[in-house]
Amino acid sequence: MGDFKLTTVEEFEAATARLLETGAKVGADAWQIRVKNQTPHCKFGEQGVCCRICAMGPCRITPKAPRGICGCDVHGIVGRNYLKFTAGGAATHSDHGREICHTLYLSAADGNYKVKDEAKLMKLAKEFGVETEGRDLYDVAHEVAEVGLMEYGKPFGFQKFLDRMPVSQKDLLIENEIAPRAIDREVASSMHMTHMGCSSLPEALVKQSIRCGLGDGWGGSMMGTEFSDVLFGTPKPIDTEANLGVMNADNVNIVVHGHDPSLSEMICEYADDPEMIAYAKEMGAKGITVSGVCCTSNEVAMRRGIPMAGNFLQQENVILTGACEAIVVDVQCIFPALGPLSKCFHTKFITTSPIARMPMSDYIRFSSANAGENAKQIVKTAIENFKNRKPELVHIPDMKQKATVGYSLEAIVKVLDGVTNSQVDVTGTTKPLLECVTSGVLRGAVAMVGCNNPKIRPDLAHIELMKKLIANDIIIVASGCSAQAAAKAGLMDKRAKDLCGAGLKRVCELADIPPVLHMGSCVDISRMMNLVAELAKDSGLKISQLPVVGCAPEWMSEKAVSIGNYVVGTGIDTFLGVDPYVSGSTEVAELLTGGVREWTGAAYTVEKDIDKLVDAMIDRIEEKRAAIGI
Amino acid sequence: MTLFDVVFSGADTVYGLAEGAINAAIEKHGADKEVSFPGTAYCLPCYYAVTGTKVTNLGELKEALGVVKGLETKNVKLNDVFMNGVGTALCAEFIEALKYLDGADPYEGTGCSGHLSDAVIRELGVPLVTGDIPGVAVILGKAPTADDAAALVKSYQAQGILVTLVGDVIDQCVEKNVNMGANVRVIPLGKDVTSVLHVVSVAVRAALIFGNVEPGDAAGLMKYTFERVPAFVNALGALNPVVVACGAGAIALGFPVVTNDVETSKAVNIKVPKSLIVQPDVDKFNATSLEARDIKIKITNIDIPVAFASAFEGEIVRKKQMQVEFDGSRVDCFELVQSKEMTEVEDHKIELIGPDFDTFEKGSKHSIAYIVEVAGKNMQTDFESVFERKFHSYLNCVEGVMHTGQRDMIRVRISDAAYEAGFRAKHIGEVLYAKVKNDYDAVVDRCQVKIITDPELVGKLRHEIAIPAFDKRDDRLKSLTDESVDVYYSCIMCQAFSPSHVCVVTPERLGLCGAVSWLDAKATNELEPTGPCQVITKERVIDDRIGEYEDVNEAVKKFSNGALEDVSLYSIMEKPMTSCGCFECICGIEPMSNGVIIANREYAGMTPLGMTFPELASMTGGGVQTPGFMGHGKHFIASKKFMKAEGGIERIVWMPKDLKEQVAERLNATAKELYGIDNFTDMVGDETIAEDPETLLNFLTEKGHPALNLEPMM
Repeated sequence: MGDFKLTTVEEFEAATARLLETGAKVGADAWQIRVKNQTPHCKFGEQGVCCRICAMGPCRITPKAPRGICGCDVHGIVGRNYLKFTAGGAATHSDHGREICHTLYLSAADGNYKVKDEAKLMKLAKEFGVETEGRDLYDVAHEVAEVGLMEYGKPFGFQKFLDRMPVSQKDLLIENEIAPRAIDREVASSMHMTHMGCSSLPEALVKQSIRCGLGDGWGGSMMGTEFSDVLFGTPKPIDTEANLGVMNADNVNIVVHGHDPSLSEMICEYADDPEMIAYAKEMGAKGITVSGVCCTSNEVAMRRGIPMAGNFLQQENVILTGACEAIVVDVQCIFPALGPLSKCFHTKFITTSPIARMPMSDYIRFSSANAGENAKQIVKTAIENFKNRKPELVHIPDMKQKATVGYSLEAIVKVLDGVTNSQVDVTGTTKPLLECVTSGVLRGAVAMVGCNNPKIRPDLAHIELMKKLIANDIIIVASGCSAQAAAKAGLMDKRAKDLCGAGLKRVCELADIPPVLHMGSCVDISRMMNLVAELAKDSGLKISQLPVVGCAPEWMSEKAVSIGNYVVGTGIDTFLGVDPYVSGSTEVAELLTGGVREWTGAAYTVEKDIDKLVDAMIDRIEEKRAAIGI
Repeated sequence: MTLFDVVFSGADTVYGLAEGAINAAIEKHGADKEVSFPGTAYCLPCYYAVTGTKVTNLGELKEALGVVKGLETKNVKLNDVFMNGVGTALCAEFIEALKYLDGADPYEGTGCSGHLSDAVIRELGVPLVTGDIPGVAVILGKAPTADDAAALVKSYQAQGILVTLVGDVIDQCVEKNVNMGANVRVIPLGKDVTSVLHVVSVAVRAALIFGNVEPGDAAGLMKYTFERVPAFVNALGALNPVVVACGAGAIALGFPVVTNDVETSKAVNIKVPKSLIVQPDVDKFNATSLEARDIKIKITNIDIPVAFASAFEGEIVRKKQMQVEFDGSRVDCFELVQSKEMTEVEDHKIELIGPDFDTFEKGSKHSIAYIVEVAGKNMQTDFESVFERKFHSYLNCVEGVMHTGQRDMIRVRISDAAYEAGFRAKHIGEVLYAKVKNDYDAVVDRCQVKIITDPELVGKLRHEIAIPAFDKRDDRLKSLTDESVDVYYSCIMCQAFSPSHVCVVTPERLGLCGAVSWLDAKATNELEPTGPCQVITKERVIDDRIGEYEDVNEAVKKFSNGALEDVSLYSIMEKPMTSCGCFECICGIEPMSNGVIIANREYAGMTPLGMTFPELASMTGGGVQTPGFMGHGKHFIASKKFMKAEGGIERIVWMPKDLKEQVAERLNATAKELYGIDNFTDMVGDETIAEDPETLLNFLTEKGHPALNLEPMM
């Protein structure tokens, strides 16, 4: 094991405290301060019982006022709020996916964007019924993109990717009228249903929430993932590092933040350009370091090994190091606080997307057509800002861990092929993983996803849950900010095998993998859906029978609720550490934690006590094992 | 029923058997009755390795059983399964140990080996690290047919894999006349399933001997065997719970299990990738197993009509099986490597001068010479003897050929079976050509072989070419001293097994395994510049007396990955060089006489230190410095540098008789040169003279042994 040791949450916090001292010196605001100002939170909001969808209200449900002015009861109000929340998340992910479709549509042999994974494009073409024989690669790419774009608004039929599901699950969804139709339609229908005077029946609202989520997971998000792979390459295992220590005080530090790889890929490309490096040296730096925050970081980490500076609640820390020349953002999860914060330092806060415009930022509008020029301009701006750094404010916490990332489904199958025996086994399947599970060597798998949320001590839930799970021979696939928490702690270092139970440890050794597998950004939870679909098909079991659960212990965004809905909709029990504003309605809560099982084969568990949450997951996995006699 | 349940039930069965056997033994013999295996310094080795506790009598064995009970927890986790597997191995060890009560030889006359001694393991060290033994197969159960069994065993044998057999497969091999025995690397362990423990014990002791794994460090033990012992299990026939529990123990140690029991695998989910593999077809067991354990077989395609494998290296061709013999002690014979100019060598030309084997009468003796002529841009004459020394191994690997001796004192026997298979004189050439080209491709660009059976010509060439060449080499070797060369070499070939051991090889101090001389190391470095032998300069002397150099220390620190800080070349008391565990001999101080005794691996008896070779050997090894004990090669005994810091060879007071005879000529010459003593070995004790220090001291006093007048070493 040598000198390998996990970084603790206490150490993260000590590093943050030191950065906040710098912040205090320059009069910076911080989320830690704003949380205090916002606490206690509005109880009506927390319970989801406040309705402001028409101008007669706002109405708040109390024992004394059990109905709104229109007569809607608490279950209808909570249900509508839940559906709206979902629609927000589904729209967001799916719009991200749509952007990628457009980028693919603009790809060209001599363009800013090219097709990097031709095999994957061909596979998609086949899936979409696009003719490939004797055609130019980019003609195929454009038609595939167009078919993908049509999935957003097609008048008839279900999402094409539903065909990837095992038949049992797809049929169940169709039977219960929750198989997603056109992506935009599900969002629009949701908004329609939640309009004043439409649905107030909890069952209908929860069903549509699941369907809208499925439109994201098996539609927009899945397209985002698949087309990103076509454009930027399907991730394969690659070594990187995580936590603020990846920033380099001698270099120009550019931090990419957000979700859409179209921007960050280009920035990385230009930061590597000899001309730009020479320019950085001219400006007094030793080189250029690009690092990432949030999911855009996951995207470039798993394709290029670009280090991860931190996750969601660490975005302000990046600026607080005093060594960040530019934080370049695209869309989603970007604190508007970065504008004012950047003004306390020399940092350039560069917004690039018309979707995410913010005050006190430099707006360099990024477009697929001019991506190269835009990226070059951004990199140059950062380099030229190096000289404005205030050395007395520079402090980069000396804290980072090694991580092996990039376990796409394709990469996982390849890893599994590596442990097959050519004398008896077939390759290209998930069967070796199934054999580990059915024999009991692995007890099951948990998909760890989601954000940070100040309601939970940041990263603690992610890390502690993972530690206990791997010690119990449960393998983890992780994405988004959860994956980054794991990487920062050291759980994606292959040496973390020594923290596992004997079964997972042996699997890690034989397959040469870390116990927590990085599957990508939050749209890449679609990869996890494809993985369970393959596991179900290879095993002949229903998805809901597999000893697999999902968990978002520190979630905070609307996207997370959309994700939760499609994970449940896929047949995977989902465990939340934060309540999705439904505690005000026993009926909605009961539907989400029980009733949906009838329609999807799975349901939610909400448990704010992290110890109980992990035990509940382990118990559920063992129950599922017992049910199928393994 | 799950796989885990099957393991638990099998473990309980074996535990019950062990409990019953121990109780019965105590009832019969009492708790104080001594328990041990012969020829090991590690008590009950598996139990000692796992727990750190030495079991010596039945009472302690009963306590040990209680400890095993505690290990065999039954939670549904792989760790519990592993521990039940390990517990099963320990119970098997207890059951097997009871068979050896009262010095019994329970396997005598069964054709099976039972327990294998420490010496056997130490001998296996070198071939395992060099890859001559690429793996260890454990075959247990019963093959579908005896032909299947024989074919499977032979397939491994042909690859040089060490095969151990347990159960009915032994009878199947006997039925098919499979050539079995340690010398051909097929070892029947025993008929009871518990006898599988004896090969587990080998793996476990390898960790203690070579890996310096601390007894009691079960995790370290399992890591060592998983990473470094290339063993695997072939379970033939129906899997009962006991076999599955044993399999769990094997898998815990990192050894995959291949089974052909399709029925059980249908009833229970037993498949585990790379660990528990169901292969219905026994024909494919070999390929399946090698892939599962990641064993790569180095293939040398040699165009001969019989098998060529390291497994046959120890094969003996007896007189009555002999077709023809070439005996250098009776008639002119020699083997020789000569470097030539590129233009003088035609690659792969095999030339026979004289009659072929067909014209020789069965059982007759003849002259033979084979001259291997090599050419290459990087060839050096110093390498000639390096290649030539390998001929012994090359020719022995041929099935049905036995080779002993070297230079013009060789003896080669060809068996009638080999002859009948078509083996002829030119095939000797094919073997030598293929192996020299294969092993030394970095320096040999062209190679041709002349085989001469014309007795007159052999005699002529022996005197005109061979003897002068040998004399010239001897002169060169004599001139090779630690002082006369500019560099030494490191050798870390053993690090596959002994991760922190480094040998420093000098002209006067060959590797402790006896297999790597300074010239060998030099050639290895030339062949593989980034390989196990690296140049060590010797420019910065720290202490001339004990042979300590800054350069050497730096190299040792680097190559041991920091485990070793400093070593001396010539002292056994101060910073002695470490041992991997595969040393030919061990010397240890004998305090009463101020001297040292030396025991060699083959010696099975007692030494005046009150310890046998295995016990002495267990004092060191695994890359750890143990002042007062040092592993070394036989050849080193006559070196002027042998423990020079403590006074040199005059400290040697005792050696086993056989060893003494082997080294007498050279040792006496050195003693004469250094101290003017004639027939020094007459002053050195052996087991026929003394096995205890008092008798030895009396003998030494009587002989006036010089060590008695030297400064005490401690």
